[in-house]
Amino acid sequence: MLEVKNLYKRYKNIVAVDRISFQVKPGRIFGLIGPNGAGKTTTMRMILNIIKPSDGEILFENRKSFNDFYNIVGYLPEERGLYKKSKVIDLLLYFGSLKNMKRSIARNEIMVWLNRFGIKNLAYRKIEELSKGNQQKVQFIASIIHNPKILILDEPFSGFDPINQQEIKNFIIEFVNSGKILILSTHQMDMAEKLCSEIFLINKGKEVCSGELADLKKRFGGNHIRIEFEGNPDFLKIHEMILQYEIFSNYSEIQLRDSIIPSEFLKSIVDMTTLTHFSVIEPSLNKIFIDLVKQSSSKII
Amino acid sequence: MKKIFEIARWEYVEKIRTKSFIISLIITPFVIILFSIIPTMLSEDNPDTTRVFGLLDETNISFTDLNEELSEYKLKNHQPVYLLINLNVKEKSFDENQNDADKKVITRSIDGYILIYKMAKDSLRLEFRGRNFSGSQDITRFETALNNIALKQRLKANNIDPQIINFNKNRISFNQIKITDSGKSNTDFLSVFYTSIIFIVLLTLMIIYSGQMLVRSLLEEKSNRLIEILISSCKSEELLTGKIIGLTALGLTQIFIWAFIALVLTGINVISTNSLQNIPEILVYFILGYLFYTSLLVGIGSVVSTEQEAQHVTSYLSMILIIPIVIILPAMQNPQSDLIKILSFIPLTLPSVMILKLNITDITVLEFAITVIIMIISIFLTIKISAKIFKIGILYYDKMPTLKELKNWIFQK
Repeated sequence: MLEVKNLYKRYKNIVAVDRISFQVKPGRIFGLIGPNGAGKTTTMRMILNIIKPSDGEILFENRKSFNDFYNIVGYLPEERGLYKKSKVIDLLLYFGSLKNMKRSIARNEIMVWLNRFGIKNLAYRKIEELSKGNQQKVQFIASIIHNPKILILDEPFSGFDPINQQEIKNFIIEFVNSGKILILSTHQMDMAEKLCSEIFLINKGKEVCSGELADLKKRFGGNHIRIEFEGNPDFLKIHEMILQYEIFSNYSEIQLRDSIIPSEFLKSIVDMTTLTHFSVIEPSLNKIFIDLVKQSSSKII
Repeated sequence: MKKIFEIARWEYVEKIRTKSFIISLIITPFVIILFSIIPTMLSEDNPDTTRVFGLLDETNISFTDLNEELSEYKLKNHQPVYLLINLNVKEKSFDENQNDADKKVITRSIDGYILIYKMAKDSLRLEFRGRNFSGSQDITRFETALNNIALKQRLKANNIDPQIINFNKNRISFNQIKITDSGKSNTDFLSVFYTSIIFIVLLTLMIIYSGQMLVRSLLEEKSNRLIEILISSCKSEELLTGKIIGLTALGLTQIFIWAFIALVLTGINVISTNSLQNIPEILVYFILGYLFYTSLLVGIGSVVSTEQEAQHVTSYLSMILIIPIVIILPAMQNPQSDLIKILSFIPLTLPSVMILKLNITDITVLEFAITVIIMIISIFLTIKISAKIFKIGILYYDKMPTLKELKNWIFQK
């Protein structure tokens, strides 16, 4: 288990991370989410031991930072890039050896992974000769080549086409099912929603909320429905049962006041518009994210 | 340790394969040889044909004498170097004669002419008029000849045998021999000059070149965040040390290849063996200097986050490195000057200045020991300071930090 306790980091006058605590359990994907500049990267860097926290501590299996830690952690930074003039195999061997792998073992592993991602034939090509998608694959392999115990992925899906996103998703699930620790940071809420069992939402360095995704939905879910209709949506504007709503191209998501029973609302609108669909829904993580971030931002200001 | 080795190996192997490295490896020695040969060739460039000079003498007394004096200088084929013609046409005025002479110069029928004005009180004024400024060798010869003539005429006027002047022709000139403890002696000024300049220019070029390479590769690692993968895999001290070792190995490879070229050239007598006598000491300063600058640059380079800043850093560096080259000549004239003494204790200029001193004067064992110790301590301190800057600098993506910020980084616990 990876424990983050009371983590605090300040740069001069700016508090980047303000006393956050969480636990990442093996076998469960931990989603670290938050808007830009929330302190996600700083938090990840402190876990990775790249920068030292101003206060607080990080424990892995009840041990504080130790020498071997470098070799059991894998990291995929958000901004990608590789040594352009180097060969794929040389580069991966270098990263493998930096993680204390024997060259011969690393070489075999590399081939297995290149094969899995369908780029085995590119092993002896220079990075700059590869397509952007293939470069991303190489970088992804670089972060997992040493079979880390802790893997930190920052926006792992960006730059991949849907087929490769699927491949990455399969890997992530496989990885975490083998009892390892995985921290996933992303803005793609649909992916986070599908993958993460636990969520930690951070804004302006502070924890906004955290816990199991299902609990979060219950806690912050509210009373949500989805309707599809024909004609003018103006009737939604003045309806007193609606707390807030959002109109998409061919449907609308509505949050009702807590005391309202959805069927009452249905009765009240059948005469106002031509309804083609009505359903009670769970709020999306996206919705929870936006609401909570807005709330927390206004509180802090 | 293993990681340091892996980093060094990566830096070495990846850089040595680059085209620009291979090109610099081959081109630099040739540029230097060219630089050292061309000035020699220019300074010894004697024309091989007789040149025609005129004489326009207002006093009208020195033509025969000057002709005689100048006829001493012969070309290889025993033809005279100078052919002197008298431009004085008696029927014309002096001004007309001068106009005609100028025309002759312009139409290239003569290479130039000597103009002697009669001044008040028996004194003379001399001018050389030509299309180009004549070589200093020609002018010196003309001056000597005319001085001899004047002297002879004075002697004659005082009833002394003008032949006495011939004694003066066997003039004594100094050959400078440097005597060293080991009993070896060095040869002439030019050879010292070129040996010094070759090594100093080599060192300078190598530092500038590898400095640029280092700053650029750090910039690349920073801008595509590779650095974050690297320092999540090893300590920043390991990364720094690995980089310094890798680059130093690269530098040594360069030196050895160049040394090999030098040996081959010595074998075929392009470089005199004399100029290679201080090689072990020179190499010590060379390597220490290279190591010092590399460790300095790893620190400075780590704060750079744009191409523009990288250029600034390398151009400031080049400016500092140019200092020893600028002072080569004054240093050779006065190796004991205070400036040279001071510069030979400042780590930034020490290696080049000491390489220069090794060639000009004899340095004592004590001086050698002190300067080497200064360098080793400086390298040690530079690595310490660079490591502190590096640690923060590589994760610093904003504008270049101010000196105050840098100070904070260095003294931060």
